[in-house]
Amino acid sequence: MSAAVQQHLIDLWETPKTAIGWLSTVDHKELGKRYIATAMVFLVIGGVEALLIRLQLAKPNQTLLGPEMYNQIFTMHGTTMIWWYAAPILSGFAVFLVPLMIGARDMAFPRLNAFTYWAYLFSGILLYVGPCLGQAPHGGWFAYVPYTLSAYSPAHGIDFFNLSLILLTIATTGGAINFIVTILRLRAPGMTISRMPLFLYSTLTVSWITVFALPALTAANIFVELDRRWNAHFFDVAHGGNPLLWQHLFWFFGHPWVYIVFLPATGMLSMIIPTFSRRPIVGYPYVAASTVLTGLVGFGVWVHHMFAVGMSQMAMSFFSAASMTISIFTAVQVFAWLATLWKGRPVLTASMHYALGSVALLVIGGLNGIFTAVVPVDWQVTDTYFVVSHLHYVLVGINMFPVFAAFYYWLPKMTGRMLGETLGKISFWTMFAGFNLAFFPMHILGIEGMPRRIYTYLPGMGWEGPNMMITTGAFILALGILLTFINVYWSLRHGRLAGKNPWFADSLEWSTDSPPAPYGSIHLPTVVSRHPLWDEHDEEEDPKNQRILDQARLTFTTTSLDAEPVAIASISEDTILPLLLALGMFVAFGALVYQLLWVVLGASVFCLLVTARWLWPTSEGEIGCPLLR
Amino acid sequence: MPPTSIADTPQTEHTLPPVLPADDTRGTYGMLLFVLTESFLFVFMFFAYYYVEKGNQRWHIEVPPRLHYALPQLGLLALGSLLLWWGEKQALQRKGLAARLAILGTIVLGFGYLVLSYFSYSEHLQHISLHTDAYGSAFYTITGIHIAHLILGILMLFWVILLPHWEPMPRPPHRPYHNVAIYWHFVAALWLITVCILYIGPNVYNAL
Repeated sequence: MSAAVQQHLIDLWETPKTAIGWLSTVDHKELGKRYIATAMVFLVIGGVEALLIRLQLAKPNQTLLGPEMYNQIFTMHGTTMIWWYAAPILSGFAVFLVPLMIGARDMAFPRLNAFTYWAYLFSGILLYVGPCLGQAPHGGWFAYVPYTLSAYSPAHGIDFFNLSLILLTIATTGGAINFIVTILRLRAPGMTISRMPLFLYSTLTVSWITVFALPALTAANIFVELDRRWNAHFFDVAHGGNPLLWQHLFWFFGHPWVYIVFLPATGMLSMIIPTFSRRPIVGYPYVAASTVLTGLVGFGVWVHHMFAVGMSQMAMSFFSAASMTISIFTAVQVFAWLATLWKGRPVLTASMHYALGSVALLVIGGLNGIFTAVVPVDWQVTDTYFVVSHLHYVLVGINMFPVFAAFYYWLPKMTGRMLGETLGKISFWTMFAGFNLAFFPMHILGIEGMPRRIYTYLPGMGWEGPNMMITTGAFILALGILLTFINVYWSLRHGRLAGKNPWFADSLEWSTDSPPAPYGSIHLPTVVSRHPLWDEHDEEEDPKNQRILDQARLTFTTTSLDAEPVAIASISEDTILPLLLALGMFVAFGALVYQLLWVVLGASVFCLLVTARWLWPTSEGEIGCPLLR
Repeated sequence: MPPTSIADTPQTEHTLPPVLPADDTRGTYGMLLFVLTESFLFVFMFFAYYYVEKGNQRWHIEVPPRLHYALPQLGLLALGSLLLWWGEKQALQRKGLAARLAILGTIVLGFGYLVLSYFSYSEHLQHISLHTDAYGSAFYTITGIHIAHLILGILMLFWVILLPHWEPMPRPPHRPYHNVAIYWHFVAALWLITVCILYIGPNVYNAL
């Protein structure tokens, strides 16, 4: 029976291996891998830009990049890394892992999932159309007005920046809604809210943050675009506008965004460190609660990016205090990891190397974050390399290093083959050494007064030594990353077969094959504890075969808190419509750059028609219950 | 999906899963979250409206937006919402025609709103436009984006009218209706808030 059932499930779930099939898949595993691959491409592009910056700054009075070129390169570097690498790479892991971790067969909105990916890809392409036309944005990744208004930036670079960001916010919001509904409604029967893996807590938290905070960026981008091309005056002081409006909106979005690129990575660490400490995490409820609280308090700290704009003592004290409060929640997580290590028997795999390295970097980045949360210190170091150092310790230390830990941990699940451990450890030590060599001296440079975003400097300021060190470190860091890429390439061909659970981990994704079958597991799992694969319960035990659900593409719907099965959700078929919708939006936003209103109108009508077709029920199941008699 | 006790299960011999209803809640959750994030877009736009006003106390006092179109517009949207709510009850009782008529009525009221918007804009544009100053920019951006939301709502309602139907249904067959109605109520509530902040506020301020 089993082989027949299996074949039937494959027939139901597998995407045909054709070009059309490739373009129309809604399989979360496929989309997750594409997300990760695309984000890595952006990491490489952003990384090359970073190396160009460092070549320019290696010595005083260099002329590799002119001032305007330098502005464009550092703008593209920051923009690419923050928006098109740091968050999407985490979404990529989540898209792949969340359904497997909760024992569902796909996301709650599979087509939205596909659209989210395509819109992300096209927004990145739109961002890079500008530079290809020689009109790169040059206002820094936070694009402060009035410099980015048309009076000072008449070229279309900033328009590409704004409109590709709006497209990206649409994609990101869609993804967040998808994660919320998936995690709250599709968990395996028995996976109550107190049994969820911590990675789900962090993904859920950042998805809520996205829903509330991202519209601030959308609004800000709309305002700037209206000011630039449609003669509005939101930021124009001569007409009653206020440039600080941009800063408030941007950072109201921007600081929560820090947690969007931070919390899922801590969630990964909370999965990886216990596995390699061979014991459950210490203080699960505290880690879960501090994840959620970080997200909440993260809304109340945005002004600490603006201490230097001049505001009341009271406001600054409040935001300074709130900023320091956040460090408490982060510390709870750090101490939980340390206690887990302390009480466990750590196994130092390559993945664990990255995980422990990122804890160390997080502590440094957190500590210099407390420095910058103190108003007088912030005034001293604002807009210097001290801040550059802080943000790189936080973003690289607690985004890129955990992501690499996640590579070594979960890539075997995705590809079915193990990465090389020795090369992994060499890669880690190279990256770790390169990273610290590159970013630690920036503290000193910052305190010595070297401002950020200058394209060159004069000799004799005492900045030559540290700058040379930083450039050397940057190249060593790049070499370390390259080693992991080589490792991935090698493992895809020659890596040891991974098997279902190479790390003897506890969460549900490890009960599926590596790589997982298109349908996940044959019997939808049930869960009775926080560590499904470590307890005595057999998740797939199903003597009456009640949880195969092979009548169509189906999965269970459960209640949000107790995960009682209450309904059966039908999962939509593969379709090319999400790609078409994303393409239509790409055309619409691209045309808006040049104010081609008829093209915008045509593309919008196209998008609406595609959406109407998309939501049109093709079977009884597709939209639940259709209408009226 | 109806309950999965479908008789003709293909190929397999194993027993069927326990009878559970088809999940029809995901769309509603999705719509609620969409409405939530859209309301925050408006929260930030209203924030901008107040923030820009702060340094500029005198701007809108000269010609505050008049209420003689805005309030009837509010009436139209409120009526539309009520009608849609009534129609949803009809749909629950399987009175399809009444439900469809309710949607149609709401659409007509929505078009009425658009016509009044046209008159209201052409009157107000004589005093102030998007290009006049930051106040005008905020005013026309907020109301304009609200109109865009309303047009989207009208299109959604059209879409619901066109939906085919299947029988027999295991549950009240009105889920798309319900989801679109949530959106429409949101658009109406948004106008209530917009009228309070953009229209009534300046008039009260002016009268004081």
